[in-house]
Amino acid sequence: MRISEQTKQETRLRILGKAAELFVTKGFEESTTRDIALAAGLATGTMFNYFPSKETLAMTMVAEALSQGREDFQRRRTGEEDLAEELFLFIASGLRQLQPLRPFIGPVLERSLSPFPRKTVCLEGEAARMGHLDAVQEIIGRHGFTQAPDYVAMTIYWSLYLGILAFWTNDGSPNQEATQALIDYSIRMFVQVISGTGADTGGAHAD
Amino acid sequence: MQTEKTTDTERLDLLPRDRTTDPAGERLEDLLKRIALKKVPVSSFSRIWILGSLQAKVALAYLDCWLRGCFADIDKRQRLKNEAHLAAALQLFGTMGYLRGAVMKLGQMLANLPETVPEEFAEVLSALHFEAPPMHYALIREVFLDEFGKEPEEIFASFDRRAFAAASLGQVHRARLKSGEEVAVKIQYPNIARTIKADLRNLRLLLQPMCMTEDWQNLLDKLADIEQMLLMETDYRQEARFATVARECFTPGDGIVVPMVYEAYSTSRVLTTEYLRGRHLNEFLASAPGQELRDHFTDLMTVATMRLLYRVHWLLADPNPGNYIFMDDGRLGMIDFGCTRTMSDGEWAFQLEIEKALLDRDEGEMNRLIARACLYDSPDEMGAEQLAIVGRGIRWQLEPWLTEGLFDFGDREFFRRGIDSFVDITRKRYTRGMPLHIWSTRFILGARAIVYRLQGRCNFRKIYAQESAWGESNQTGG
Repeated sequence: MRISEQTKQETRLRILGKAAELFVTKGFEESTTRDIALAAGLATGTMFNYFPSKETLAMTMVAEALSQGREDFQRRRTGEEDLAEELFLFIASGLRQLQPLRPFIGPVLERSLSPFPRKTVCLEGEAARMGHLDAVQEIIGRHGFTQAPDYVAMTIYWSLYLGILAFWTNDGSPNQEATQALIDYSIRMFVQVISGTGADTGGAHAD
Repeated sequence: MQTEKTTDTERLDLLPRDRTTDPAGERLEDLLKRIALKKVPVSSFSRIWILGSLQAKVALAYLDCWLRGCFADIDKRQRLKNEAHLAAALQLFGTMGYLRGAVMKLGQMLANLPETVPEEFAEVLSALHFEAPPMHYALIREVFLDEFGKEPEEIFASFDRRAFAAASLGQVHRARLKSGEEVAVKIQYPNIARTIKADLRNLRLLLQPMCMTEDWQNLLDKLADIEQMLLMETDYRQEARFATVARECFTPGDGIVVPMVYEAYSTSRVLTTEYLRGRHLNEFLASAPGQELRDHFTDLMTVATMRLLYRVHWLLADPNPGNYIFMDDGRLGMIDFGCTRTMSDGEWAFQLEIEKALLDRDEGEMNRLIARACLYDSPDEMGAEQLAIVGRGIRWQLEPWLTEGLFDFGDREFFRRGIDSFVDITRKRYTRGMPLHIWSTRFILGARAIVYRLQGRCNFRKIYAQESAWGESNQTGG
């Protein structure tokens, strides 16, 4: 019997929901794919048809949250923001959507979003990264900043962003307000770098 | 410029030196230079770095000299050890966040004290507070989502995206409630309380070289008091409570207005109050007000501070000119109660004892109380010199209490004497005393600096009689 697309979609959502519950209550490392399949009322083998690994499951949630964050950002953007402000709004909107995943997401992000070369690339992680960076490129482009080469700007940005994520997952301040200050400072610094408005533009080494 | 340079060199000459390894004091100078020249991010980075200017570097060097002076009497070995500590501690300056500005200003003031003219002194005092970086609207929105679960536009009928004033821990925006009232919304920069704690930890380290001095414990007590006050200032709910009590202390006939707090739009990080239309001190002075108007506002400021002192035993410990609004209809607005030091019953009783001894012109009792204020058992233990110098400062503070008729706070000679006695106390390091006195000194010097700039006069004795009488007939205040 063929399973309808709707049923598939429902099963997918159920797995994601149960997995999120388990990750939050038991922790990511402690939750097994067996636990998740059991909670979702599926055979482990069947679950693998939907999600090949625990990591894929978690990164699907991350990708979904970040995509939702991008929508929020588009909705909240007024068009009056300067570059730093717009980037701040973008990152903050994403974090707000990631918020429910915060209790367990640290190790997953570390594994799936790492900029170091890896044997197996998590496709969902890669998609999330690309989606995020495309949006950042678009924002930067909109403000016409081109001082640093794109790959330099994007690499710096991604390093800062991962730093922010790492700090945020471990931020014990109320409402993670320490992270807000960190984003503020990081973004100001980033904008200064890519716009070449810092006091030292390397002129001293040019002669 | 030449004079300043000479003074700088003279001061460097006074530094303790290690004759074997650093006979010319070069190592120290080099260290100072390295620290002073340490690059800080450019000023556009954010407001907190604005003081990474030349004057701040100079101030830093002076502060260092001042600290060194603190252990000029200790033996050489100990001095060397202290220097090593100091060197390490000074490096910490680079890591300071919000306190950096305040420490720089303080350093600058301590450094220039002997040469400071009253106008500069008044200006520096008014700038001595915590500074937070400016926030763009996107950050404000995040604060609102965290505090209220809603965006500013959802909460208010209108909300100005640009701040109209900087506050010591954040900034203030104008907005309009859906019910139509114009309000001022003060918003705190994220995570500032933790930064203050970190800054004070650094400050304690910075001051560690003074741990051998007899006043070290007293210094720690004062720092603890400062930390407690600053952390209290980060809780806007506490400020809202102060403002509400203060508001009740005045009637419409007083001509003094404390804006109403809108509780429903306030949290620990957002404070919404009625918006008062008017001018700040600088704008007011720019309009070249006549003497009568200057006197009028001096009168109101005196009534306002004396009312809160005698009725609820408060010291407005941050009498910043920005906290006063000169309203067009002649009323005085008071807008910031974040840095309010409430006096304990013991502290208040002591205040009354001092006043009584002063008014009775009982010199013996005055001396006994001054010694007590400086944590000595008796005037003898305190020593004649310290008693005289500290006594001069306290008597200057209380001078208006003894003067009948109009008191001229704009009198340059009077203000100058105040600075001189403050300079003497600081230079001789006769600063040991009850932690309360940090605030009472700041309160009096700050308020006098404002009325000095205002060039105002008032009948202080009459106001004192009127306000203290309330205190006597209602012993439940505080």
